[in-house]
Parts: sequence; structure tokens; C-alpha cells
Amino acid sequence: MLSQTNQEIMTNEDFLKLVTVRRRVSWSFLTVLLGLYLAFGLLSVYAPGILAQPVFSGGVVPVGIVMGYAILAMTFILTLIYVWLANSFFEPLERKISGGAR
Amino acid sequence: MNITAIVMFFLFVGITLVITVWASKRTKTRSDFYAAGKSIGGFQNGLAIAGDFMSAATFLGVTALVYSTGMDGMLFIIGGTLGWAVILLLVAERLRNLGQYTFSDVVAFRLARKPVRTMSAIGSLAVAIPYLLAQMVGAGALIQILFGLPYEVAVVLVGVLMTLYVMFGGMLATTWIQTIKAVLLLIGGTIIAFGVMSMMNFDFGDLLTAAVKEHPKGSAIMAPGVMFTDIITVISIGLAFVFGTAGLPHVLMRFFTVPNARQARRSVAYAIGFIGYFQSLIFIIGMGAIVYVTNNPEFLSADGSLLGGSNMSAIHLSKVIGGDLFLGFISAVAFATILAVVSGLTLSAAAAVSHDLYANVIKDGNADRDTELRISRITTLVIGLSTMALAILLEGENVAVLALIALAIAASVNFPVMFLSMYWSKFTTRGALAGGYAGLATSLILVMLGPTVWVTLFGYEEAVFPYRYPTLFAMLANLLCAWWFSVSDKSERARREAEEFDAQWIQSEIGPVQEKV
Repeated sequence: MLSQTNQEIMTNEDFLKLVTVRRRVSWSFLTVLLGLYLAFGLLSVYAPGILAQPVFSGGVVPVGIVMGYAILAMTFILTLIYVWLANSFFEPLERKISGGAR
Repeated sequence: MNITAIVMFFLFVGITLVITVWASKRTKTRSDFYAAGKSIGGFQNGLAIAGDFMSAATFLGVTALVYSTGMDGMLFIIGGTLGWAVILLLVAERLRNLGQYTFSDVVAFRLARKPVRTMSAIGSLAVAIPYLLAQMVGAGALIQILFGLPYEVAVVLVGVLMTLYVMFGGMLATTWIQTIKAVLLLIGGTIIAFGVMSMMNFDFGDLLTAAVKEHPKGSAIMAPGVMFTDIITVISIGLAFVFGTAGLPHVLMRFFTVPNARQARRSVAYAIGFIGYFQSLIFIIGMGAIVYVTNNPEFLSADGSLLGGSNMSAIHLSKVIGGDLFLGFISAVAFATILAVVSGLTLSAAAAVSHDLYANVIKDGNADRDTELRISRITTLVIGLSTMALAILLEGENVAVLALIALAIAASVNFPVMFLSMYWSKFTTRGALAGGYAGLATSLILVMLGPTVWVTLFGYEEAVFPYRYPTLFAMLANLLCAWWFSVSDKSERARREAEEFDAQWIQSEIGPVQEKV
């Protein structure tokens, strides 16, 4: 059985909002990053030519290397966004919930 | 023999021993030993986490991979960074909210303590030991070349130092050693990459052009497929990095050294910054090594192969950049890297034995503090001695491959079990055990039958299982068994475990809740 406090939290609107928004953020960020990685993997096996092509015609830097660095940059940007969201949105909600339940 | 290297090395060892003595005076409780008294801040912990990941396998192994295959190395570089996004978005805060010292605490939160902890302790050991070996083998080879010491002596030296750090300094010493080394490695990597770029007049395109010209495979290195050509291998490598990183016991343990979930989150964010930065240097370093090392007679042996093998490419490059002085610095840093990482691994293996197996399984959660600490120190000693012996037997294996096997087990045993226990309300003890052991057995059997052991070690002509990396199959085996044995579990215990999920869910989301009076 859940304690009284926990039962209150499970129906607390703030808690439901926190859980839903955080889940949506986490999974969409992950989908983007893992999707890009999977695309890189699939291209490297089935269409290596695309990754080997220079980004600019006549240039030497191939698409695959730019894509690799772009994924690193993307990871970094999404990390910053997540931390910002957590500090300015998730954490105040968490405090409100545990304060409200007490 | 390089005087700078030797001086730097002794300086580092001296400092770390002072830290160990200092830390040993502050290590009295279990929380001190396993979690540095939960006193580490997010920034330092981020550095230490980055340090745990930026091992010899990354610095030397992945550089070597870029050096020999070019673009294929990107698969490792991206994967190594993405694993941290998984930790940030799915694991870090929850882990801190639910656990005490090891990730097994989280798995055992609502599942049957004894069997589940036994399984996750085995999972921790099955990761920590091969990973430790990978680092030791790398260390042995490196020191052999740099200091002219025989391989065996080098391995024993590493083993003795790491045993001392962990036995006496616990997590506090391990964290500080890791932090110092992370800073040194970031500086060293930056200088090498900067040196390469400045010799190329900061034109990335020129660097790639020069690499294509020098590399024996020519323009093939600017395309994928030099080493990894089939989709099963590519996906297994990806899975091993992306989910294996989040199953490394020594990394997960770091999230308990901070005071709360907020600092845990900050730790990973900083770690991602440092790791992402370092990974992006690795590619430049690898390319630089192709340009300045491949055809440089100074680094080639009589038969035209690279002195010390491709794992030495980053080290040789440092000599081109900054002469003997800088070579000495980088060699000492590489050695410090290995020492710091093996210490973290040893500590996590010791915690699996003393905290999970002894205190919670054998003593049912009522272990005496001093006895538990003594057990963890004895375990440290045993691990130290046995890995030294094994490392001597395994001389010459590629370090990146050994480390990847550890990552494969982490991805197919520890991560799925921890993930399901956090997120799936119908996950039961029976499912956890079936999944965990299925993942472990599949990984071990496939590694045995694969090319790494079957061909290289046993000397058979052809591998029974054609792929080097078992992750895809082992993860599937774990998930299928975990799912089936959970949903078909109609026992009273399973019903109770499902009921307790909500309370665990709340604590994982917002931390421990104080009951209303």
C-alpha cells in the first residue's frame, strides 16, 4: 500500500506535469541523438559513398566527418538545454511537490 | 629511456601517494570508503567521471583506430559521447535518488534483495575485471616501451599502486587521482591537437589531404568500411557504447559521491562537455598521427611496422610535436590515466563484493561497519593480485577490443536490469534474474566462440560465432527473458513488487519524500 503522502503525490497535478514533461523531453532528445547515430551507422554500411563524398564539391572534408562532429555538437547543445530546463522548470516543481506534500 | 617521463612519473606517483595518505585519515565510514562521504561537488565529479571514461582505451586505443582506419573511428568517437547523453537523460538523477553506494541498490529497491544483488554484483565484476585487464595490458606495454622495464615488472608496478590507492584511500583518493589525471589528459590532448593543427596552418582540409597522402590505404580512410563492414558489428558497437557506458559500475558509483540529484545532473553535464571535447580532439590526433608518424623512419622498426604497435601512435606523435620533453609529459599522463582508471575499477569491484555480496546478501543488511570495510580491503588485495597475474598472461591483446568486451557485458547485463527496474512497473525479481543471467551467459559464450578468444587465444582456424562484438544478441537475450519471465510471473512476490513500484517511482522522480505527520 502507498502511504498517505505518496497517494497525494500520485494525484498531484504538479507531479503529473513534471513526470510527463520530463519524460517527453528526455525521450525526444534521445530519439534525435540515437536516430542520428543510427543513420550514421546505416549509411556507413549501406551507402558509404554518401559519407565519403566531400561536403563541398571540390573540397576534401567528407560528409561522414562533418556528420560525426555535428552529432557531438548536438549532444552538447541538448545537454545544455536539458540542464537549463531542469534548473528553471523541473527543480522548482520538485520543490513545490515535496513542500506541498509535507 | 626518457628522463622527463621518469621525473614526471615519479612526481605523479609521489603526489598520489600523499593524497592516499591524506584520504586514508578521512576514510572511516562506509560512506567515506565507497562514496567519498558524498562530499564531492558537481564540477569536480564531472571531471572525475570524464577521467573514468577517458581511459587508455579511449586515448590510445581510439586514436589507434583512427590512425589505422580513418573514418571508422568516428563510430567509436560518437558512441563514446552519446553514452553520456543516455546517462544524463535516463539514469543519473534517478540513480542518485534511489541508491546508496552501488547501482545494485537501485535494482534491489523493490526486488528481492539477495538474488538480485548477487546477480548485479556478478554483473559488476564481469565488467570491472576485463576492463581492468584491458587497462593493465595497455599499461604494461606502454611502460615497457617508455621506461624500458620488462612487461611483467610494469604490470606489477601498476597493480601494486592501484591496490595501495584503493585499500587505503578509498573513493576519496580515487576521485582526487582521477580529477588530477583528467586535467592533465585534457591539457595533453589539447596540446597535441593544437600542435597538429598549427603544423597544418589550422586548415582541417589540409590535414585530411595530408593524411590521405601518407596512409597506405589512401583515400579509403575518408570513407567508412575499412574495418567495420557489416551492420551487425556496427549496431553492436553502437549499442555497447550507448548503453554499455550507463552500465559501467565504476562510473555509476561516481553518482553517489555527490550530495544530491542536482549535483548528479551537473556532474554528467560537465562530464559531457569534457568528454565531447576530448573525443573531438581524438580524431585530429589520429589524423595527425597518420601524417607525422606513419612514414617517419624514427618510429618504424626494421620490418616497417610501427614501434610498439598502433596503440603507440598518439605517443609517437607527441614526440613530433614537442620533442623528448613533451613525449615524457604525455607518457607520464598516459600512465597516470591507466593508474587512475584501474583504481576506480578496483574500487567498484571491491564494493560489489563487500557492499553487495557480503553486507547485503551474506549478512542480510546487518554487517558490522569495520568488518565490511576490512572485507572490501581484502577484496581489493585479491583483485590486485589476480589481475596482475592475468594481465601477464594476456600480453599483446588490443586494449580497445578488451575494453569493448567489458562494455558489451555492461550493456547486456547491468544496463537493461537497472533500466527496467527504474522504468517498468511489471518488472519482477524473476524477470531480473532471467534477463541478467541470460545477458551474461550470451555475452560470455559469444565472446568465447568469437574471433577474439576462439581464434586469437585458442588458435582455431575459424570462429564459431563470426562477430567480435556480441552486444546486439546479448542485449536481446536479456530483454526477451526479462520481459517473458516478468509478465508470466504470477507469484505473490511479483504482485507485491508491482505494488511497490509507485513509491519507488515517486522517489526516483523527486527524491526521498518526508511523510506527513
